[in-house]
Amino acid sequence: MNISYNWLKEYINLDLSSEELEQKLTFSGIEVEGTKIIGQELEQILIGKIIDKVQHPDADKLSLCKVDIGDDVLDVVCGAPNCGKEQKIAFAPIGSKIGEMKIKKTKIRGQISYGMICSGKELGISNDHDGILVLPDDAPVGKNFADYLGKKDVVYELEITPNRPDLLGFIGIARDLSSLLNLKLKTPEITLKCVTENIQDNLQLANLNPIKCPRYTARMIKNVTIKESPQWLQDRLLSIGLRPINNIVDVTNFVMMEYGHPLHAFDYDKLDGKKIIVRDAYENEEFPALDEISYKLTKNDLVIADANKPIALAGVMGGENSHITSETKNIVIEAANFLYSSIRKTSGNHKIFTDSSYRFERNISNKTAEDVSQRAIQLILATAGGELLAGVLDSYPGKDTEINVSLRPTRVKKILTIDLTENKIIEYLESLGLKLIDKSADNLNFEIPHYRNDLTREIDLIEEIIRLHGYNNVETFTVISHIMDKTSFYGRRLVQDIMVKYGLFEIVNWSFADPQDLNKLNISDDDLRKNYVSLLNPLGSSFSILRTTLLPGLLKNLKYNLNHGTKDLKLFEMNKVFFASNDKLPTEEYVLSTVFTGNRDDTNWLDKPEQIDFYDIKGIIEDVIFEFDLKNCKFEKTTESFYQSGTGADIFWTGIKIATLGKIDAKILEKFDIKQTVFGLEIYFDKIISKSGLKEIIYQPISKYPAITRDISFLIKDNIEVNKIIHTIKEVNQKIIKKVVLFDEYKGKNIKEGIRSLSFNIILNSPTKTLTDEYANKLLNKIIKKMESEYKIEMR
Amino acid sequence: MKNEIKKVIESAEQTIKSVDSIHALMQLKSKFIGKKSELTSLMKQLGSVSKEERPEIGKILNSAKQKIQQFLQTQEQNIKNAAYNHSLQKDMIDITMPGRKLTKGGLHPITKIFREIEDNFISMGFDIAEAFDVEDEYHNFDALNTPADHPARDLSDTFYVKDDILLRTHTSPVQIRVMEKYKPPIKIIAPGRCYRNDNDASHSPAFHQVEALVVGEGINFADLRDVLNIFVKKMFGDDISSRIRPHFFPFTEPSAEIDIACVNCGGKGCNICKNSGWLELGGAGMVDPNVFDALGIDSEKYTGYAFGMGIDRVAVLKYNIPDMRMLFENDIRFLKQFS
Repeated sequence: MNISYNWLKEYINLDLSSEELEQKLTFSGIEVEGTKIIGQELEQILIGKIIDKVQHPDADKLSLCKVDIGDDVLDVVCGAPNCGKEQKIAFAPIGSKIGEMKIKKTKIRGQISYGMICSGKELGISNDHDGILVLPDDAPVGKNFADYLGKKDVVYELEITPNRPDLLGFIGIARDLSSLLNLKLKTPEITLKCVTENIQDNLQLANLNPIKCPRYTARMIKNVTIKESPQWLQDRLLSIGLRPINNIVDVTNFVMMEYGHPLHAFDYDKLDGKKIIVRDAYENEEFPALDEISYKLTKNDLVIADANKPIALAGVMGGENSHITSETKNIVIEAANFLYSSIRKTSGNHKIFTDSSYRFERNISNKTAEDVSQRAIQLILATAGGELLAGVLDSYPGKDTEINVSLRPTRVKKILTIDLTENKIIEYLESLGLKLIDKSADNLNFEIPHYRNDLTREIDLIEEIIRLHGYNNVETFTVISHIMDKTSFYGRRLVQDIMVKYGLFEIVNWSFADPQDLNKLNISDDDLRKNYVSLLNPLGSSFSILRTTLLPGLLKNLKYNLNHGTKDLKLFEMNKVFFASNDKLPTEEYVLSTVFTGNRDDTNWLDKPEQIDFYDIKGIIEDVIFEFDLKNCKFEKTTESFYQSGTGADIFWTGIKIATLGKIDAKILEKFDIKQTVFGLEIYFDKIISKSGLKEIIYQPISKYPAITRDISFLIKDNIEVNKIIHTIKEVNQKIIKKVVLFDEYKGKNIKEGIRSLSFNIILNSPTKTLTDEYANKLLNKIIKKMESEYKIEMR
Repeated sequence: MKNEIKKVIESAEQTIKSVDSIHALMQLKSKFIGKKSELTSLMKQLGSVSKEERPEIGKILNSAKQKIQQFLQTQEQNIKNAAYNHSLQKDMIDITMPGRKLTKGGLHPITKIFREIEDNFISMGFDIAEAFDVEDEYHNFDALNTPADHPARDLSDTFYVKDDILLRTHTSPVQIRVMEKYKPPIKIIAPGRCYRNDNDASHSPAFHQVEALVVGEGINFADLRDVLNIFVKKMFGDDISSRIRPHFFPFTEPSAEIDIACVNCGGKGCNICKNSGWLELGGAGMVDPNVFDALGIDSEKYTGYAFGMGIDRVAVLKYNIPDMRMLFENDIRFLKQFS
């Protein structure tokens, strides 16, 4: 539902900016889904006065005006024939915007103009483009035109929840705000004068289905004049997107928006038999509706009929046969209420959704029918004249029983935790129109106003209390703790899981170690790992220090398992190592170590067994690097003494060694009594985690266009590293070349020593277009040329 | 001419039926109804046929073409069906041969238990806290209400690194480290490794514990019982009951030991529970006011509970492992059972 800020102010003295109001509405449960600012484009327009006007020396149709804008007098060139001295006008100063045009200082035929005098069309307030808009003499010079016009407004698009039919009109919203903001609600004051002629003598009412029509009222006005509504009424309707039609229809729409209760006007002279009958439709009865469609009704639909024909589909839409036309003289104003479930069925079955059905199907109050009837009569008499007949036809068979709900203040505390005095609770609820009728120990008994039939239980009242008190004024208790080092904790789990994914089994060894093992690994005396912590009372000499590396333990585990008949092993351990320190306590760091031996995969009958090699291990560390998003890692020849020379790598990130891997030297293995090839990988976890967080995943747009691939094979000196080659290829076009994948290396037969053949798969993709073969081939040629000039490659 | 057409049809039918490849069939198609086919040349001769005969011959020619097309289509379907049936034969497999599997790895049972416990407590709003394996005497003993002359210090055989530096004998020093650094409310568990100079069938010199500490306003004995109860049921199942009974720890008052119903016999009594029906899981209690006072935490305002339990024992109970020492043997045949 759309509501206008200015219109709303008719019913409540709001002292809030439109932004503050938006906040208030949303936090009281009336969600503002959107706002539209009206008249914003007129904000910079000023009211000016033409204090002088002379002919432009070089143009017949132009004149030079001096415009007083209060604090300044400006020269303006004007081309309008109707512009004249002493006129009050709307002035667009330099920097303001008229439609899409920005007003600048301009020279028109040699005369400088500091702004523009506007026409009604330029301002978007009328269709008049023949000349400038001349304002009444009392327009205040220098003042904001938008304010003067009063068209500045904010329109809120509200989501009214289905439990709150009372909010389907301005007065309902204002009433809720009045209790929230503790302001007085202003409802229209109505006094009606009628003639002596009585409605009874002109019209008869029969309500044949009081279940589906709990209330029906009709009043009559004679001799109305159908015409356009006055401007204020049109403006009100237009501000919330309703189209003005004529004064009678506009009044019924206006009053519906005020009270949230729809009503309808009939042309009295078109009613056969001078009767209004509320009845079930006949099966297949034809009903010609206002939307110029003829509906075939069923006996489940409720109609308003005259003696012969249906004149309205009750609560949903009026009939084409009885609506107000320019010839209408005498009218009947219907204000009624209909059973919400029946309206909902009819509207759904016939697929007619109107402002009227929207409100009736939400179970509105029977009582407001009387209010809207009187309000509509008041406005019709004011805008269309005529004489109100005395009396009202009112079918109101089932008297509404008053609903009372009792509330325990202790229950309020129990559910909301907030401490509210009994008086405060009463104040809150009375502000909503509830009436305290009875009070005893921990029991408040309230009478519910007729427009709040959603309040039937204690818990409903508790909801109202907290809505008024403010949901966000309830204290929360939990303090978010920062004790946990989530990065390290989940980072450790992540690397463990990567190892498991690659088929490794986790080992748990004690933290004790034998200092001799460090010598077995050829660790030099100045290595940090020799800076160990010794125990004063060890279990024995082989458990006499705290370990500084996990590798010896893993080699022993390997040996144990080889002895027990398993030849293919991939093991890892992750735990702390300890280094002696100048501080009181030693340094403790998490390290992950692994050993690999034997075949890559478990034996199966499909695939030939293959030995683990360096690149198996390298794939794992590359995965770790990817998972922690470690950019620009450098792989260098290892300095570790226990890897076979030329087969190991140290990995550096931000200048720090974060991992080593390689083939463990056979002579070292001999010392651990291991006769088969073993590869090792050590990851210095704390070195990574001290500087890196866990990878943050941020979506990257994917190309809508298909990728294409090209393969390239060439001979190249074998001391040129693949990394460098890939980099060089990508440099040719970083945007299009998405991936360069090595898929073959060949050395040997038919190829000179010192040369190798490499094959790459190049994936091309553009974010903006489908790449053609032609384009791809051109790019490939560029790559080849670059490779030939940089590395003297020879294409195969 | 009619005769010639008839012959063409007959010869086409015969030859088409005799081919068994799509390729050969396509060749026949051009031979019989292609531009240079006999039928096409007959059609070209239609002009020389007498006016009276022309409509009839025309009709016959058209129907001949349709017939040949029909032969071609039927044969194409036959060839395809035969190929499909052949492939069914060829693709037959022995579905009892083993499938191709990824080579699997696995976490150590101790890690698995740690993770399960951690996740259970994280889901209850606990943080994970960690501290040092190598501790000073103050955090391992003194701050835990166990001064130098306290008999409780004899309860553990402690590994020493220096005079006052040791390998922590329990995870309880993490409690002190956390309370030194953070103000209440505190709600943590501290998983970690501990050390005692003991090596026999039921004691490992390095072992694992999880410590819990909850400090805040209004934390009480019922909270402790409640969280232990939830924990036991989450770890061992809804039908495993637990109990706490009075005990002594220097840093809790009242102190208790936690028992769970024997997971082996369900409480009836067996050799695992030494016929008691109960298995000891760890220690617990309300934080001793002395501990708070020494740390400058207002023991009138704040109360708290703590408990600790042996993880290796939980693993042994949960997985029905006969000997705790197997956890540290790292036999791959043992480890593979937990993947």
